[in-house]
Amino acid sequence: MRKILLALVIVGLVVGVGFAQDKVTIRLAGYSGDTPLMQDVLARFVADKIPGVEVVWEPITEDFLAFVLRTLSAGTAPDVFYVDLGWAKTVAETGLVEPLDDYMANSAVLNKGDLIPALENAFTFDGKIYAISKDFNSLVIFYNKDMFDEMGVAYPSDDDTWATLLGKIAQVNNPGKWYGACINADAARFLPFAFAAGMPFLKDDGTGPFDLASAKLAADWFTSFNRLGISATSAEIGAGWPGAAFISEQAATCIEGGWLIPPIRNENPTLNFGTTFLPSPWENGPRSNYLFTVGYGMPTSPASGRPDLAFKVIEILTSPEVQNYILESGHAIPSRAALLNSAYFQQKDDFAQATKKVFEATALPGTVPFTFGEIGQGVYMGAVGEALTLIMQGEETVEEAMNEAVAKLSK
Amino acid sequence: MKRRGDWVSAFIFLLPLLFTLAVAFIYAFVRTVYFSFTDYNLFHITKFVGLDNYTQLFADYRFVLALTHSLVYAVVVTASQTFLALLLAIVLNQKIRGLTFFRAAYYVPSVASSVAITLIFIWLMNRRGTVNWLLTALGRYWPLIVIGLALVILVQWLQVFSERRHGLPARAFDPALLGISLLTGVVVTTILGQLGVVHPYPMADAVIPWLTTRKMFLGIPLPLLSVMMLNIWTTTPTMMLLLLAGLQDVPQELYEAADMDGATPGQKLLHVTVPAIRPLLFMVITMGLIGTLQVFDQIAIMAGVAPLESTITLAYYVYWNMFGSGGLPKVGMASAAALVLAALTLVIVFIQRRVGFSEKGWYS
Repeated sequence: MRKILLALVIVGLVVGVGFAQDKVTIRLAGYSGDTPLMQDVLARFVADKIPGVEVVWEPITEDFLAFVLRTLSAGTAPDVFYVDLGWAKTVAETGLVEPLDDYMANSAVLNKGDLIPALENAFTFDGKIYAISKDFNSLVIFYNKDMFDEMGVAYPSDDDTWATLLGKIAQVNNPGKWYGACINADAARFLPFAFAAGMPFLKDDGTGPFDLASAKLAADWFTSFNRLGISATSAEIGAGWPGAAFISEQAATCIEGGWLIPPIRNENPTLNFGTTFLPSPWENGPRSNYLFTVGYGMPTSPASGRPDLAFKVIEILTSPEVQNYILESGHAIPSRAALLNSAYFQQKDDFAQATKKVFEATALPGTVPFTFGEIGQGVYMGAVGEALTLIMQGEETVEEAMNEAVAKLSK
Repeated sequence: MKRRGDWVSAFIFLLPLLFTLAVAFIYAFVRTVYFSFTDYNLFHITKFVGLDNYTQLFADYRFVLALTHSLVYAVVVTASQTFLALLLAIVLNQKIRGLTFFRAAYYVPSVASSVAITLIFIWLMNRRGTVNWLLTALGRYWPLIVIGLALVILVQWLQVFSERRHGLPARAFDPALLGISLLTGVVVTTILGQLGVVHPYPMADAVIPWLTTRKMFLGIPLPLLSVMMLNIWTTTPTMMLLLLAGLQDVPQELYEAADMDGATPGQKLLHVTVPAIRPLLFMVITMGLIGTLQVFDQIAIMAGVAPLESTITLAYYVYWNMFGSGGLPKVGMASAAALVLAALTLVIVFIQRRVGFSEKGWYS
């Protein structure tokens, strides 16, 4: 009788421990806007694939960098979280984000060299890789074909220069019905044009470059649309962002990345649109663009205590199957080098073509990673963004505003 | 002589509050003081830097701006909201019809979420928002408005004049006559407008950038001034409610005595009402100063729209040093700024108590 009891107790303990192990929860935090996609992906590809692991999606609505810094320092960071290239270096410097080199070396499915080299390099600091890029993006001009047809204007093309694009947008502008473009005083849209005109990220002495002739030339052109009244900011149109103004057909063009494609498909699927590269300053001139990418990172000591399982989740989320699924649903361009020849890019519909254009734009010479080095992203972007606002409103000249931006960055 | 047991039970009852005070205030305060002398960034072993953070603060033009803004903000908003609250409280302390409705309606801005109100406010003040639309309408249609008003006055005067000539007791603003005058004014102006006799003034759309500008008014940036107006509008009702409670406690005999002495309404306000609610005025002004010196939420939401230099206040400067710059948090600088803000608040309240209204009441 005693033995039976003892056996029962042991079985009970084993089962109990087994149940306890069943309950490993891996928390995955990302932008709240990704919620429908990520919940779909988790349900299709991750649920029940790793025995004993439950992956919980945590959508973050607050400033994501603030969230990551706060939870890392408090020791409550999620097991897996998005790392945006714009602030990747800042979080790597905390020392509390796990370098993933060893995990990749021991992985059967995710090794160095599987990802596009530029994306691997982007997240590598001091020789260690801190995040696995999940997708990437760059900027293109989106244009509404119906509006250009109605106004009898040629579509924007890859051969356009700053001047010819300005001319086309002026012609397609239809007062009272739609604006030629929706352009905000956004540094992330402006800077690629400044780089194309020859502005370096910083001057050689490490100070702000915005008072250089190249920067002023770009600022003058970039703000001319709004100053001429052929473009308005999204706030003036009453849209949340320029993409929304484009989707609701209140603007004929906008400068956005591949992230605009899913909302078009969801909200205005019959929109007849095309995409083209950002124009160069002069004929056969140089171009520039930003390479945006978001990766998955892990804290050095995850709350679950199981970094191995957290990495398994990253392996699945960046697997060819998941990336192809996300590509074909038009959400993002895969970071795996092997997927760049995907059959999807050959399809002729507007969505596949737009995705292809964004992808080609990232490969053009002059495309630079969206990083800010030692200078905080907030300071750099804030200085330029405010200058652009003042020029667009006609409150300051290009000269005054850009000189002021230099002063702000140097202080 | 208290028994030992009394002390123990008193202590047990105080314990929950003492515990939260110790953890959330004393511990946090001591840590903040410590951090303000280090270069802590939330992650790395700290180095003692002495007074470096404090000297850097005063060398940072953003801090100097934030300090100036905070002081101006506190003085202007507290003064305006106290004055308006007193005025409203006196009005709502009268026996007027629909009193409860007005008391409730005036309190609505204080009940609504300040975040939601700020967002709506941003829409209203947009370059193509309602405020500019109203200004455009006014700017365009003022000729018609002026002619319409003139017509109303003329017709009203004619009617009253004719009634009185017939020996009827017509008041200047007789409602029935006023209705006829208004109708005539509107109809005639509309006809004149349609016939093209009166033209709207040809004015371009007003696109005044209220929130995205660097322009100043009386040395105060326009965006900050906008937040001030918003804050005055949302806090005045709370202060009004407090003062109203005080007004209702003022003994009626004091007014009767003042009446017997032949006091004017102004004298009664200054020499009876204000001294009687002095303790409440002290509270309203003190709460106003503390609240305005620490203003954060409205500034933080506005920060997405307005230039940093035009709205930054001390509390937002503290946040900006932690999470706003995009780099690693500057905890040392943020702590130093937070302590300056705390010291400033104490000093200002102290000065207010000395030279302004103190909490000493009528009878002391």
